[in-house]
Amino acid sequence: MHEFSVTSQIVRGVLDEAEKHRAKKVNEVHLIVGKLTFLGLEQVRFAFEALTKGTIMEGSKLIIDEQEGVVKCNHCGYMGDFKYEDDPLYHVPLPTLKCLQCGSVVNIVAGKECTIKSIRMMV
Amino acid sequence: MAAMKKEVVKAEEGEIFDVELSKDLLKVNQRLAEENKRFLHKSGIRAIDIMGAIGSGKTSLIEKLVQLLKNRYKIAVFKGDLTTTIDAELIARHGVETVAINTGKECHLDANLVKKALRKLNLKNLDLLFIENVGNLICPAEFLLGSDKRVVVVSVTEGPYMVVKHPFIFMEADVVAINKMDLAKAMKVEVKRLKGDVKTINPKALVVATNSRTGEGVDNVAKALGL
Repeated sequence: MHEFSVTSQIVRGVLDEAEKHRAKKVNEVHLIVGKLTFLGLEQVRFAFEALTKGTIMEGSKLIIDEQEGVVKCNHCGYMGDFKYEDDPLYHVPLPTLKCLQCGSVVNIVAGKECTIKSIRMMV
Repeated sequence: MAAMKKEVVKAEEGEIFDVELSKDLLKVNQRLAEENKRFLHKSGIRAIDIMGAIGSGKTSLIEKLVQLLKNRYKIAVFKGDLTTTIDAELIARHGVETVAINTGKECHLDANLVKKALRKLNLKNLDLLFIENVGNLICPAEFLLGSDKRVVVVSVTEGPYMVVKHPFIFMEADVVAINKMDLAKAMKVEVKRLKGDVKTINPKALVVATNSRTGEGVDNVAKALGL
């Protein structure tokens, strides 16, 4: 839903960094997109192509790594996937904030990010 | 002694190199939200963010909370909407300072908009702030505003699947109000089942059944919020 505005920020962030290094061309942008952001990757790619036209980023390769949601339990130290519970009525696996290991309430520690990991540029 | 040759290493033209950034773009809002929270605490103001689908009853819940609490607290309300000040005017009728935040076309409030609205408030005469988010069960979850507590309002008229369809916003909630409980029978929706869904997803959320038209259950919402 916010793919266009987020991608605008990505492009601006990369261009700012490229300017710092006086780069002539950006060849590659490496993103990490959390699955819990619900950003549509196809739409991000589409917006990236549209927004980089006419800039030194035009034609650059966009690599996107998806980051799974990760929870952490402060009670037993478990860190990993959500505990899913099957809803008996709708047969839908529901993600829960319960620790897989001990049942305490967990915190979400990954999966909500949209990070520019690295940029490959030509000076 | 030979003069020391100063060696300067410069990137040769045409050289390619990598820059590691690790810049999380979504952290910008988080930082602003933390700023808002610090500012509110310094001013002695507790803030509550109220989210929920369009038509779930957010505005009427706030109206009832204001009526209930205005003799005990100095209250102000931020009303988020795309356009118009209709709801803001409804709330202002109860005699509380109301700021309408028009997002234009953005489907959620963000910390930046709240920061701007905070500048419009008379802070000295305030200890409780309700922030009504834009009607939306998806996006507001991702955008913290800097409030102390987050409430999600879900009404029985949205059907029985609304909670299971949107687990992540319910993970954000401190308090959930299951509204329009008087219509549960007509809708063939069980309040108990919706409550069970919320508790499965988020065991620490406090769930209250309400009828924000009559005010039934609203005192329990206030209690759940520690007010």
